[in-house]
Amino acid sequence: MKKAIGFLLALIALGAGAWAQQGAEALVADGAAYLGSFFKDKFDVRVAVVRFENGSELGDLAMQKIYQMLVSRLEGEKNIQLKDLLVDFSDGRGVFNLSQSDGLDFLIELKLIQNKSKTGLGLTVFSRLQDRVVAVKYFEKAVSKGEMDLLQARNFAFSALGFSKQLEFESKKHLMDIQSIAGADGRMQYYFFYPDEIIIYVANETRLEKHFQFKLKWSRPFFPTRHPEGKLLLFRSAQDLVLTAGSNFSPYSQVLAFRAGQWQEAGQVDFVPFRLVTMNQNPYLVGGRYEEGRNFFKDRVYFLPFAMPVASGGAYQKKTCPAMAMDFSEAAGQLQAVHVIDRDYAYRLFSPGFEEMKPLAERRGASLAALDGEWLAMSDYSRTSDQLYFLDIRDGGLRPAYAGKVDGEVQFIAAGNWQGTRGFWAGVLQAAPGAGMERLLVQFWGKRDE
Amino acid sequence: MNKAKWLLLPLLLLATLLAGAIKPYYGGEIAMRLNEPASFNLSTANYSNLIFYSLIYENFFYLKKDGEITSHVFQDYRYDAAARTLFLTLKENLSFSNGKPLTARNIQVSLKVFLASELFTASRLSKVVKAVRFSNEQVLVELLADTPDIIAMLTAPELVVLAEDEQSFSGLFYPHEWEKNHHLTLRANPYYAGGRAYLDTVRILFTEGPAPDLFLGAPGQFKENFLEFDSGIYQNIYLCFLQGDIGQNTKIALYSLLKRFNEAAGFRFRELNALTADEESPVAIRIKGLSPQKTASILKFSEIKLYVLSSLSNLEKELTAFLKDSNLRIETQFIDDSQFMAFLDSTGIKYVLIDKIFQKKTPAEEKISRILKESSFNRFNAQYLRMLSELEEARTSNSQELLMEQIARISEAIVNDGFIFPLFQKNYSLYARKSWPALEIDYYGRPLLQQVSKTHD
Repeated sequence: MKKAIGFLLALIALGAGAWAQQGAEALVADGAAYLGSFFKDKFDVRVAVVRFENGSELGDLAMQKIYQMLVSRLEGEKNIQLKDLLVDFSDGRGVFNLSQSDGLDFLIELKLIQNKSKTGLGLTVFSRLQDRVVAVKYFEKAVSKGEMDLLQARNFAFSALGFSKQLEFESKKHLMDIQSIAGADGRMQYYFFYPDEIIIYVANETRLEKHFQFKLKWSRPFFPTRHPEGKLLLFRSAQDLVLTAGSNFSPYSQVLAFRAGQWQEAGQVDFVPFRLVTMNQNPYLVGGRYEEGRNFFKDRVYFLPFAMPVASGGAYQKKTCPAMAMDFSEAAGQLQAVHVIDRDYAYRLFSPGFEEMKPLAERRGASLAALDGEWLAMSDYSRTSDQLYFLDIRDGGLRPAYAGKVDGEVQFIAAGNWQGTRGFWAGVLQAAPGAGMERLLVQFWGKRDE
Repeated sequence: MNKAKWLLLPLLLLATLLAGAIKPYYGGEIAMRLNEPASFNLSTANYSNLIFYSLIYENFFYLKKDGEITSHVFQDYRYDAAARTLFLTLKENLSFSNGKPLTARNIQVSLKVFLASELFTASRLSKVVKAVRFSNEQVLVELLADTPDIIAMLTAPELVVLAEDEQSFSGLFYPHEWEKNHHLTLRANPYYAGGRAYLDTVRILFTEGPAPDLFLGAPGQFKENFLEFDSGIYQNIYLCFLQGDIGQNTKIALYSLLKRFNEAAGFRFRELNALTADEESPVAIRIKGLSPQKTASILKFSEIKLYVLSSLSNLEKELTAFLKDSNLRIETQFIDDSQFMAFLDSTGIKYVLIDKIFQKKTPAEEKISRILKESSFNRFNAQYLRMLSELEEARTSNSQELLMEQIARISEAIVNDGFIFPLFQKNYSLYARKSWPALEIDYYGRPLLQQVSKTHD
């Protein structure tokens, strides 16, 4: 008997999240099923939700989730081309980008109402061709108080407001990092760091075009590794564009400077620089040092006063913990925090004074990157279902804002931007057709409203 | 107890997730039980050694069970049929375990050492190799004739990357600490060409005790906590007579005595009535044994010094005790393979107990040829050379009948000449604890530890 109770408790604990949304999900499922059957004899129709109003007890966040659930279900319909025009939700209304509505065949309007103890979803379908409403339908379900609370909890936002995948393409394997900087012509240049070379791309509309590439020469001691990892840092110093490239297969990071139209060796440092930060009005290269040939960092953070030519040693050190992944958040060039995933895959946070802080939520992960002291992206640590979590770190906490499923295994995450949108690059290793074959996908996850 | 189980449930779930963690865990130790090696000088005479030396010496090429050939030291290899040349391009910046550079010259020297060895696979290869040269990072193996299967020939487990310095190793691990008769600790080679191992250490135990993580044993045991791998190999033990002046009665008496050793040791070995394996040999070798009384009466006035290859050192205690109990003047001396080859010309060595490891899948003609070449020692003569050429002809004739007939003729001839008597056969399974799921074994039955990582606690 005790066993049975224990089992039920475990099931409840594991499945609570799923069960709690049963009413809202059923409402959405009914709506989506109706729309699916309405459009089933039509082919390739262009459809979008253009109005969503809320007269129910649910808040804006709950609306967002209901909208997201409906959209994800409609995206699965083969004969519908669904356009997602939602820009925002505020004051019980959805804000849509109606400038694109001309290209649509059908417009959908949604309304949530409260009918006694039940929540209702009203749905109208307007045909632009016939210039009239062609379908009206209403569903209602009981949405419990607990479910409402859960829907309104700001755990995950949704794509239009949160981070969404904006770009994806295949790269050659062993890509370790991506960094970008504006070129002399003002165009963004994207530096792809591979173990033996750096390839520079420039953006051309929605594509990346190869601009330049150069080989990296490493010397002994050289530690062959099963999992090459590395970090690239780009910054301007006086007239020079400076690049540092460090990895887990060499104890030294290369420092190169772009002068007189070419990349020139400018020294080496004995750790892997992540950032250039300012402390006491002086610039410092800050970074970590890999355990040779392995996939984790030693338990130290290194600070090296930066000046050209670069000093090869003399960095001072601060103790953290051995780290599977590490990044530094900064604001206006000042170090704000050190984010670490330790060797037990647990997230740990250190203050600029290197005191360990207790973040508001406990998390586990495998890779991470910080974006300007505002956002932290972290990958999951389970091979069975990898995903990216985007966490709001603006107030020094760790508030989950969005999660995106990833088909494959996240190899690295790097903060960056794409076409003016700030976000994160992710290298994702994915199984490819053919036994034992793999491919590396590069994804950009950005936040459109920032 | 029930409460404890329920408390364990979330931990188990967590452990399951962590087992599939995307960033693999580096660290930990695996313990295996093997026979104690005589030294760190490569000697792959028995299965245990084959495994041990594969941990500290890197092969040119690996042959997987499914036939796939891979290399960790070469970034590229290409056979140019028109130029009859194999181009091996070394990876850049490789080093031995002590950090000294591993260069194309080391590859050239290693290949030459292998070609000069007495091994059957080496002699096959040396027949087709004209020259081995190197330039920069590339080694050129020039061949006498077009040999498309040259890469397959280079997968021999004895073909390894050797350093000039004895303290340098090319393998996944390097020796760190050796407590004689007890254990040896290997550490991960930080410069390993295929990328550092996940494991930090391998502890090799030489003593009996609780089952370690990896060990060899007879097939069909330890089903509960271990994965059993068919090693695909067997070990034959032969009694060899290196001098022509030994009487037939003495040979048969010693043979009978050793056969009884197996009985006394609880039948640890299978009886062997063929030179390769009973199931594949076209002839059964039946040597009629003598009764214990007759054996004793023949051997009682003899002073026999029985040399035993150190690869059989696991028999030392039992064999010595058995011979002592027989009240005969038979002294055993365990001898390293390299020492043995150095003393071969000495007339003092008359009786030798040797073993040979065979891959089950290897064709019978190749095995018989290997026995003739590697185990006839100073008794090799023109007749055997002719027989080997006839075997080669039969092989190319495409007639299975002819081939088996030639195998039978060779078997009969070498047993009748009385220099080698087959004694026993041992089959092996490799047992690995189930907590090391990524373990694979290669074509030669060696565990591949490159991908083995600790399940994170």
